[in-house]
Amino acid sequence: MKNKTTRRAALNTVAIAFCALWLFPVYWMVNTAFKPYGDILTTTPRFLPFPLSLDNFRSAIGKPLFGTYLWNSLIVTGVAVVVSLLIAVLAATAVTRFRFAGRRAVLIGILVVQMIPGPALLIPLFLSLKSLGMLNTLVGLCLTYVGFVLPFAIWTLRGFMVGIPVELEEAAMVDGASRATVIRRILLPLITPGIIATSVFAFITAWNDYVYAYVLMKDQSKYTLPVWLGTFSTSTGTDYGGLIAGSALFSAPVIIFFMIIQRRLVAGMTAGAVKG
Amino acid sequence: MSMVHAKHRTVPSVPPDSSAPRKVRRGRRPSALPYALLVPALLVLALVVGYPLVRLGVISTQGYGLRALFTGRPESVGAANYQELWLNPALVSTLVRTLVFAGSLAAGTLLIGLAVAHLMAAVGPRMRTAVTLSLISAWAMPNVASTLVWQWLFQPTYGVVNWLLTAVGIGDYQQHSWFSDPNEAFAVIWLLVVWQAVPFVALTLYAGISQIPREYYEAAACDGANALQRLRVITFPCLRPILLLVGILSVIWDFNVFNQIWLLTGGGPGDATTTIGIWSFQRAFAAQDYGQGAAIAIASVLLLMTMTGYYVRRLIRAGEAL
Repeated sequence: MKNKTTRRAALNTVAIAFCALWLFPVYWMVNTAFKPYGDILTTTPRFLPFPLSLDNFRSAIGKPLFGTYLWNSLIVTGVAVVVSLLIAVLAATAVTRFRFAGRRAVLIGILVVQMIPGPALLIPLFLSLKSLGMLNTLVGLCLTYVGFVLPFAIWTLRGFMVGIPVELEEAAMVDGASRATVIRRILLPLITPGIIATSVFAFITAWNDYVYAYVLMKDQSKYTLPVWLGTFSTSTGTDYGGLIAGSALFSAPVIIFFMIIQRRLVAGMTAGAVKG
Repeated sequence: MSMVHAKHRTVPSVPPDSSAPRKVRRGRRPSALPYALLVPALLVLALVVGYPLVRLGVISTQGYGLRALFTGRPESVGAANYQELWLNPALVSTLVRTLVFAGSLAAGTLLIGLAVAHLMAAVGPRMRTAVTLSLISAWAMPNVASTLVWQWLFQPTYGVVNWLLTAVGIGDYQQHSWFSDPNEAFAVIWLLVVWQAVPFVALTLYAGISQIPREYYEAAACDGANALQRLRVITFPCLRPILLLVGILSVIWDFNVFNQIWLLTGGGPGDATTTIGIWSFQRAFAAQDYGQGAAIAIASVLLLMTMTGYYVRRLIRAGEAL
């Protein structure tokens, strides 16, 4: 029995050490962000941010054009999520509810397209958008994100739709429901988990993207938040307090959101693991 | 499309087995409706993926420099870009570097992920929740933000890592710059990428382990199998499909790592952390030689396709039941 207690204690110690190690960067970000301005650049770091201070957040938000960057990020992400969902639902309906020539080719195409390294398409996208005069436009950036999200979105939604018996919809149509009603009242409610998974993916793709926005948006007033953070270091040196507070502001929505859907996320992965 | 940030997929894209379409709309004449439903998706994909891919091929056969950028009229140079690439001594070293980079990242992620998954299975529910939450907070952080935090952690004068290493007595790390030595720069990038990649792998593998029936282990214990034997005879065979999936996804993602390298080292010192993706980017956007950059990008597409070809074939074969 003693053996078992020691084993348990050892495992718990390892687990605690792992948590400490993995949480450290996040903790350090929060700690730095809330420190008073003068406590940032100290050769002996302070491990608690007391007295709590919002100096760094003020300095980040107070940077010129911060509101514009935030707005650009929100718009691009919002549009990318909504548009890619709409298009993906239509496409997933087509490939799960109809049989037509070329259906298999479409599905294989969607799979293979996911294997193309995204950064490889930067050069042609940049040159094409440039010749169309669409550099520095939010439309061009949105379109790019929608294109990158679509294959995964269609594939995920398809997985959910395949599992829903067509008979359910046919029964409703026999009862006189129109096709639109069937989609709205029967199909959509049943694929809600798929829609959530797809939106999360689309949101993160657009919100987190750095390299596409960095190349396609050269005009400073068109920067998104990550591009702005990437150019934070200036010739006059880096304001680390503001930089880290800005990073924290930028990360907070995603981290909080992941924490909220944590159970669902892990459950979804278990379902995926069983299928795999 | 595996983008730079694809690490956040919540559901692995495995084809479900029960996907044979039912006899949908049987007895009806083929209708145009499914095509109409597909039009928006195909249009966007053609615009954002299909056309650019073809154009990438075309640009790689053109002398596309600053002048062409202004006139919009590049001249065709045939295979000259590829010839130049082939003769460039940096080609081999960059390819090797990319493979070592992706390989060591994927290996590190899988090993640590597997260990953490086992740890999660072995500890109590409360400790498991703590580990899950730590994993998720690392996973959720946008990689631009985590890269900037890394920059701050490893800052020479005020960084907490240098202070910690000095305080613990590992050596004198005051004013130590991590990005001037090739190996150290690589190690810092490795830590960052692995830190963010482990959560997905660990949580997926844990999900897989939790699905293995306990009876298997009990039976093995009855037969006197030790921990190592149980791992080899039960855990690995049961996890094989999931291990294969996360392994391939890790290779793809690690091959495509861009932001972390670009923001931390820009490919330096020298070209010590220049992977093929960074190289293509530098040639195209810094040196303004889009033709050469495109040729390198084509090489990277072919390299990744070769590396994942087996997996793609497997997926397509699984797609027989599409």
